[in-house]
Amino acid sequence: MPRILDVGCGPTKFPGSIGLDMNPNTAADVLCNLDEGGVPFRDNAFDQVRAEHVIEHVADIIGTMEEFHRVTRAGGTIFLATPHYTDYSSFRDPTHRWHLNTYSFLYFYPGGMHGRDMWYTKVRVKEVRNYVSLLRLWRALGFEFLVNHSKMFRQFWEHYLSFVIRGKLMEFTFEVIK
Amino acid sequence: MSPAGQADVLCDWTKTLPFADSSFDQVRMIHIIEEVDDIFRMLGEAHRVAKPGGQVIIVTPHYTDHASYVSPAHRWHLSSFSFWFFSDQPKEYDYYAPAQYRERKVHVEMLRVWRALGIQFVVNRSRALRKFWEQYLSFVIRGKTVEWDLQVIK
Repeated sequence: MPRILDVGCGPTKFPGSIGLDMNPNTAADVLCNLDEGGVPFRDNAFDQVRAEHVIEHVADIIGTMEEFHRVTRAGGTIFLATPHYTDYSSFRDPTHRWHLNTYSFLYFYPGGMHGRDMWYTKVRVKEVRNYVSLLRLWRALGFEFLVNHSKMFRQFWEHYLSFVIRGKLMEFTFEVIK
Repeated sequence: MSPAGQADVLCDWTKTLPFADSSFDQVRMIHIIEEVDDIFRMLGEAHRVAKPGGQVIIVTPHYTDHASYVSPAHRWHLSSFSFWFFSDQPKEYDYYAPAQYRERKVHVEMLRVWRALGIQFVVNRSRALRKFWEQYLSFVIRGKTVEWDLQVIK
């Protein structure tokens, strides 16, 4: 049985996981506030940490990623889902502090931004999956396929097209490097 | 907050409003909600000091307007659906937003060109048209300010 932590589990906890939330009206097994003291588990406690629609709410993304990294074993995975900053849902929730794109976690990759490691954190992860979904119209026209199957088109889209052909949901899977 | 304005009462209104429950017929929050630490708390306080059935008026920049990014004091970038939480909330979220409002009116104001072309009129015709604009068009045909007329439900 893989050990899975579902952070911000809400009313629908990931099957077989331990649920963590700050809201008692949820399926949470553990109540805590990520912004006050991090994730209340020991180092390397989990094979996977899942945080769906969480990272855009936290006060400190770097600190939170460090906590997810700490409680995940080496080789384990972190799964994040969060709105792309061009989706209106990024601006619909008045508790969204951060508006992110598909490159927002380069920060944590070895040699991440501009070919060098970033120095505000020592946490390193490897990107396993980085998928962005688009609105129905753009998907039907094949843009979602292109954006996810060509690294060059992904960059062209982020730089030139994304305010017109807007993104929706981003899903990241990272492998934890320790 | 600042003695330089025309305030009758000086206080840090982002934390609490120094008035008794149900004191006012109308609470006006014009270009402030984008600056507060905690929007839920602010709307909770406005709800508390307003009378049942009273009115809360909010005006704030749309997230596609340059004004949303001009002031470094702006913490939040909001859309015309940002307060659906308070009027249409799923049960499990009343933990975050105990204050209940009814959205009496939501109005999006646009730049002159779009207004002249009638787009502002069309976008404000219905919720469905406004949603289509928010999802597909608003980074090209950009919004300026959003105005809410909320009714306090107690």
